[in-house]
Amino acid sequence: MSARRVIAAVLAACLLGGAAPAPSDGLAVAAADQKAFQAFFKDRFPKLPMSEWGNGPYAVNAEMRKQWEDIMQFPPYDFALDEGKTAFETKFANGKSYADCFDNGGIGIRQTFPYFDTKTGEVVTLDLAINRCRVANGEKPLKYQTGLIASIDAYMASTSRGKPFDIKIPDDPRAIAAYEAGKQFFYTRRGQLNFACASCHVTSSGDRMRGDILAPAMGILAAFPIYRSDWGSMGTIDRRFTSCSSQMRAEPLKPEDPAYRDVEYFLSYMSNGVPITGPGTRP
Amino acid sequence: MKRILVLGLVLIAGPALAADQAAATAALAGAEQTEAQAGKLLNRWLPTEAALKAARAAMAKQDWDTALAQATLAHALAERSVEQATEQKTVWQDAVIK
Repeated sequence: MSARRVIAAVLAACLLGGAAPAPSDGLAVAAADQKAFQAFFKDRFPKLPMSEWGNGPYAVNAEMRKQWEDIMQFPPYDFALDEGKTAFETKFANGKSYADCFDNGGIGIRQTFPYFDTKTGEVVTLDLAINRCRVANGEKPLKYQTGLIASIDAYMASTSRGKPFDIKIPDDPRAIAAYEAGKQFFYTRRGQLNFACASCHVTSSGDRMRGDILAPAMGILAAFPIYRSDWGSMGTIDRRFTSCSSQMRAEPLKPEDPAYRDVEYFLSYMSNGVPITGPGTRP
Repeated sequence: MKRILVLGLVLIAGPALAADQAAATAALAGAEQTEAQAGKLLNRWLPTEAALKAARAAMAKQDWDTALAQATLAHALAERSVEQATEQKTVWQDAVIK
């Protein structure tokens, strides 16, 4: 039998048997996790529509929402938004721009980040992609966490407002491993205070922690980057992760550490369907 | 007479001071080793790092008592962080929303 006939026979057998490749166990586990995760939060806050999950504490606490509505008369992130738009539209020294590095010219794509890059075998966040774009075009990378990178991130997020998180996990063992690593990090207790991310943002979500209302984990990244009154400036997801680590008395990892990127991947995938609200503001 | 007294004090205190330095050095080395283990587990604690820093600063000032105390504290904290990370390797799964 010729090679062509063997291939044809295999294809025919697949088609007749309806044997489309089945998703791996890892993908099935991730899908089940997402279903259970969203069901938990919908059960905890039954009146909350999908459009509200990206508003964090303001979605679950009436007093804070009132204050927020007043603050939003003059959103404190507006300066960053303007700075980010200008930077985004300014060409690099080589004549290219950020738009050349992203799908759809970088407009309306925030909801697809982070994604798993099957070529490099790693999770790529929007901030990492912004800096890689700069380096690929002969520019110096920006310092992570705050400053111009948060402003560019803010502008890009603003073009995605209302678009639901749409994070994909490719059927690739490395992507599934990254998802699982993020999940493990999220639920693992660490630091002298013995807290996990989940300690505050799952079981205590909506409750008070000193003066703060703890945001539910579902949709928690949809508002980033954020202007935090506590910081007095803008901050990216990296900044929030590092400050959370410090609050647990754990030494923060470096910004864009693979472990942080994996958590972002896990949390964003858990929030699929929640519309982007960023840039946001928080106490 | 005075010279004899000074000599006596040196003879008595000399080995004691050397022992303090040796104890502090050993304690710091032990603490650093355990903290490195915590780092591999992505679980270094801030108070451990602060105690290590204080121990190193005291060593530089030849303040062996403080160095020993801070290194001992750092070691104890590092051991707890390793213990926590080791336990959490499996226990975290109990917290997953199902």
